[in-house]
Amino acid sequence: MSGRSRTLWNLTAGQRLRYVGAVAAVAVGMLFMFQAPLIVQGAIDGLIDPSSAGGRLARLAQSLRDQSGLGTALALFAVGMVAVNLLGATFRYLGGRWSAYASERIIRHLRERLYAHLQHLPMTYHDKVQTGDLVQRCTSDVDTVRGFYNSQIIELVHNSMRIIIVVPILLFLDWRLALVSIALMPVIIGSAIIFFKRVQGSFKKTDEAEGAMTATLQENLTGIRVVRAFARQQFEIERFRAKNDNHRKLNWRLYKLMATFWASSDLLCFTQSALLLLVGSSRVLHGSMSIGTLVAFVSYGQMFIWPVREIGRVLTELGKAMVAIGRIDEILYIVEETAPTTPVSNPPARTRGELELRDVSFSHGEKQIIHNLSLKIPAGSTVALLGPSGSGKTTLVNLLLRIYDYNTGSITLDGMELRNLGRKYVRSQFGAVLQEPFLYSKTLRDNMKLGRHAAGDDEMVAAASLAAIHGTIEGFDQKYDTLLGERGVTLSGGQRQRTAIARALLRDAPILILDDALSAVDTHTESSILDALKRMRGKHTIILIAHRLSTLMHADRIAVMEKGQIVQLGTHDELVAEEGLYRKLWQIQSALEEDLKDEITTDSQEKSQTLLEAAKE
Amino acid sequence: MAHDPAIEEDVFVGKINLALWRKVIHFAAPFRNYVLALIALGVLTSIVDVSLPRFTGKIVDAVTASNPAHFHAIAWRYLATLAVFVGCILGFILTAGWIVTSVSFDIRETAFEKLQELPFSFYDRKAVGWLMARLTSDCGTLSQVMAWALLDVVWGSTVLFCTAVVMLRLNWKLALLVLTVTPALVLVARFFQVRLLLTSRALRKANSQTTAAFNEGIVGVRTSKSMVREERNLEEFRDLTGAMYGHALRNALYTAMFFPLMLSICSVGAAMAVWRGGFAVRSGEISLGYLVTFLQYAGLVIWPVQELCNAITRIQGAQASAERIVSLLDTDVEIRDSKEVLIRLKAHNNGSPTLAPDGYPARIESIEFRDVTFSYKAGQTVLRNFNLSVEAGETIALVGPTGGGKTTIVGLACRFYEPTSGQILINGTDYRQRSLKWLQSNLGMVLQQPHLFSGTVRENIRYGRLSATDEEIEQAAKLVDAHDFIVSLKDGYGAAVGEGGNQLSTGQKQLIALARAVIADPQIFVMDEATSSVDTQTERAIQTAVERVLENRISFVIAHRLSTIRNADRILVIENGRITEQGTHHNLIRQRGHYFELYTSQFTHEREEQMLDYKELTTADE
Repeated sequence: MSGRSRTLWNLTAGQRLRYVGAVAAVAVGMLFMFQAPLIVQGAIDGLIDPSSAGGRLARLAQSLRDQSGLGTALALFAVGMVAVNLLGATFRYLGGRWSAYASERIIRHLRERLYAHLQHLPMTYHDKVQTGDLVQRCTSDVDTVRGFYNSQIIELVHNSMRIIIVVPILLFLDWRLALVSIALMPVIIGSAIIFFKRVQGSFKKTDEAEGAMTATLQENLTGIRVVRAFARQQFEIERFRAKNDNHRKLNWRLYKLMATFWASSDLLCFTQSALLLLVGSSRVLHGSMSIGTLVAFVSYGQMFIWPVREIGRVLTELGKAMVAIGRIDEILYIVEETAPTTPVSNPPARTRGELELRDVSFSHGEKQIIHNLSLKIPAGSTVALLGPSGSGKTTLVNLLLRIYDYNTGSITLDGMELRNLGRKYVRSQFGAVLQEPFLYSKTLRDNMKLGRHAAGDDEMVAAASLAAIHGTIEGFDQKYDTLLGERGVTLSGGQRQRTAIARALLRDAPILILDDALSAVDTHTESSILDALKRMRGKHTIILIAHRLSTLMHADRIAVMEKGQIVQLGTHDELVAEEGLYRKLWQIQSALEEDLKDEITTDSQEKSQTLLEAAKE
Repeated sequence: MAHDPAIEEDVFVGKINLALWRKVIHFAAPFRNYVLALIALGVLTSIVDVSLPRFTGKIVDAVTASNPAHFHAIAWRYLATLAVFVGCILGFILTAGWIVTSVSFDIRETAFEKLQELPFSFYDRKAVGWLMARLTSDCGTLSQVMAWALLDVVWGSTVLFCTAVVMLRLNWKLALLVLTVTPALVLVARFFQVRLLLTSRALRKANSQTTAAFNEGIVGVRTSKSMVREERNLEEFRDLTGAMYGHALRNALYTAMFFPLMLSICSVGAAMAVWRGGFAVRSGEISLGYLVTFLQYAGLVIWPVQELCNAITRIQGAQASAERIVSLLDTDVEIRDSKEVLIRLKAHNNGSPTLAPDGYPARIESIEFRDVTFSYKAGQTVLRNFNLSVEAGETIALVGPTGGGKTTIVGLACRFYEPTSGQILINGTDYRQRSLKWLQSNLGMVLQQPHLFSGTVRENIRYGRLSATDEEIEQAAKLVDAHDFIVSLKDGYGAAVGEGGNQLSTGQKQLIALARAVIADPQIFVMDEATSSVDTQTERAIQTAVERVLENRISFVIAHRLSTIRNADRILVIENGRITEQGTHHNLIRQRGHYFELYTSQFTHEREEQMLDYKELTTADE
């Protein structure tokens, strides 16, 4: 709990003065507002009702009337009323304004901090957590906290101040009647707290029922083809009706609760004002209080009896804000990706792209994925990785990019130990096309230039042409300005991969990685992209991961991986000559010829059979 | 181009469209009595509201006159009025609540039923999210407005009216003076409420953009890291939070300004009452009690004015919701049973086993496409003069490039779409002469993205035939080789599949979808890339099983995998909406045309992937 309050407090850094100002302004505004009934009281006692005794203001009124006449005195008092109200309103506005500035800035800062933090959290964290949960914490939980900073603090100050200011005034005016007029306050506040606590459960249930109804609706709409295919419309209508009805019932229950609460709390508040009015009146009747005092009491009663009810609600909301900040705290406490402890000083801006892995091991969780792997990749060479899924190819890529950190062994880039280089520096040396590349819902141009913002349009078009996506893009109505994602065009798997390849090429980094980046590209397009890659030999180090032999047979060296180790290494010709997985794959080609031969022979067999049958007849 | 829901939500219609509201009011018709009760309660509440300050005044007068008897009488009436008031509050919350919950239930139900009838062409145009918003937020907004805005309008106008009448009757000069603040209050309230509505909408929109940005930032974190995009991402995110900050601040500032301003204007009214009223009391024109009453009324005018303006703004704001709901309900159903079919359905509702409900034979012997042309959108023809005749017992495989029209052919055969021109005949009769429901309940479909409903495995298979017993479900699962994996799940057939089936792999979902189609015992079987994510061994097992199921039925198979296509009775190569090649596998291989090319290029690919797909290792390398 104290951790949470500390976070809430720490977040206010830079805005505290504003808050103090806001609270002060609200208080001052309230003081002014509360003067208005006193002025009315003075006017009534001093000017209007001659029978009254009255206090200081009344005496001031009388002397005013004596000096400059009744009209002027009344007018002055009226102006006084308006002035006091205007001043009160101004301060109240200032309070609202400052607290709005303060809270919105705090929340903006919190959002940005969360976003930056999430981007810098290690991948091992992201692998574990669910996106939906994170997003919820960053949006709706933040919004709950915003409610706390924006309104609850001020409301709480405002409402408690009403009590703090009014009660002494009332006590001063007439302490007995004052006690009567606050008699029911504890009951009103208490019942509001209890109610809002209770209604939360009911709200949650109604929300859940609405969620269930929405989920049913969504399932129906996304599965509408299935519904129609089985002509299940009636079944679906009944299913939806059940959820709809459940929602209605719970909602109705909520209304009943609300009706009971508002009616009974109104009853309490009315009882309180009636008590005040009736007891006050009888005191006036008995001559122990002035009429002006009674009218002032009635006015003050209006001012604070009703808002008191709000305190219960605000306190309940505060509880929710505490829970929300706790959930946000859990994210903020995770440590970001670490910087190297003994950094290499002044690494070159552009490396040659020579990589060497020596005895590298890595485990993710309890499972060891890479076992003592060694591999040398000379600058400018093309290395292909081949192996069954699960053999550790993608993990290897992640180690090179320092997305994951290797446990033992060493990886060097141009002779520099990767661990001693900043992550961003390492990544800047790579143009990577990851498995299932992610495209942002931005324009194609923005997506392409993601890796190198300064790239010119001509360079972009060149890269797109190399990746064989330029023609496709030119076919879109808005060409490179086409928006991707939900609000724009949805690219096919192959198009996504080619866009990602263009993006990586445009980066023009020393090392290019294609992790299964051509799997959804047709063979014809694939060979044109491979030709483009061939032309890059010598200038760029290329690491190619693929399943198709045709993709990787032209690499300088091909490494066959199995269970986190390299089991075969060599050129295409060498590997074909060796016993192993690679040769088996190579043999599929001859299997095709046999299969086709089969087709034709069975075909001719059939034919000869029909001929035979024909001959028999 | 998809609609941008965020932009559409923001339509703010200036004028109130009465014709539209008349249509919407229709939904309140069944609750006429409740609406009348709500109006009555609104009037009663406002009368009580207006009379309360009078009591304060009368009590003050009784006290001033030192008349205890009078005081007691008034006190009792005062307490009784309070009791009535509390009763009114209870009453109108309950009545309004009942109207809100019932009306939204009805709108949702009507809209949902409508959605079940609308053609696929409608779904092609509208995003699911857009449709959902109609039945959730729009529906909620509309029903809320129908009850609460009505109450607010009734209450506000009655209070305003009664206050004016009471004050005028007490003392018309003083009343006119106090009431001069009303126009100012109205102007200020309208000004602020419209702006509050607009800024809160802008804020909501900014909020959904920020949410999307968070989502993208998290989903794309690997790419961002590999591209060293963190700083630029944050910069772009700053733009969003900046916009959101701006909207939130504007909204908060309007709020901060609004109320103090209203109160200040009201205090002017009260001050004038003190000033002129003071004279009047002194000159004996009115009593002090009257003055106190006036003061209270001057403070009260603010509420009805605020509520009235608020209600009007809300009605305006809800008009966009009303429009969207009405437009949904007014959408043409397009594909439905013709009048003749309906008459025949009514005439022929006995349960003959050989006749369909529409009186024609129940067995489907043939489907024929005769000169069918079809386009989803005018000007973009997908199929052109397409002819195809399929007999019961035939399996037709459709192959060819994406966008060639394979799925369209199937969609037309199932009457999810109807031909733009030409005819589709079932047993020689145009299928528009047949019952839609009959045809569609004879379909068994398995799609590439198999959609499962959240619920158990058993419920999902039973979706194919609601009357299926547990044994039959198990049988169907065994037939498609799904039984083994199902029993290996934690709760077996009772295992929850999750939303959209997300607890299962795509391959597993495909198997369940297949079992669901098998149990439906359909006459027309459609498999659109139905086993693409199933491993080759299972696929082979399914193949032989399905072949048995398909006996005597018509089936369409769309697939890339060769083993699936090879055994079809006829293979059609579809390109640009036409059949470019057709025949059996053997014939087509011999022809050395497109199919041959497709086959040879895929053969290698498939075998290679197969060899690299070590089943026991598939989970680790993600």
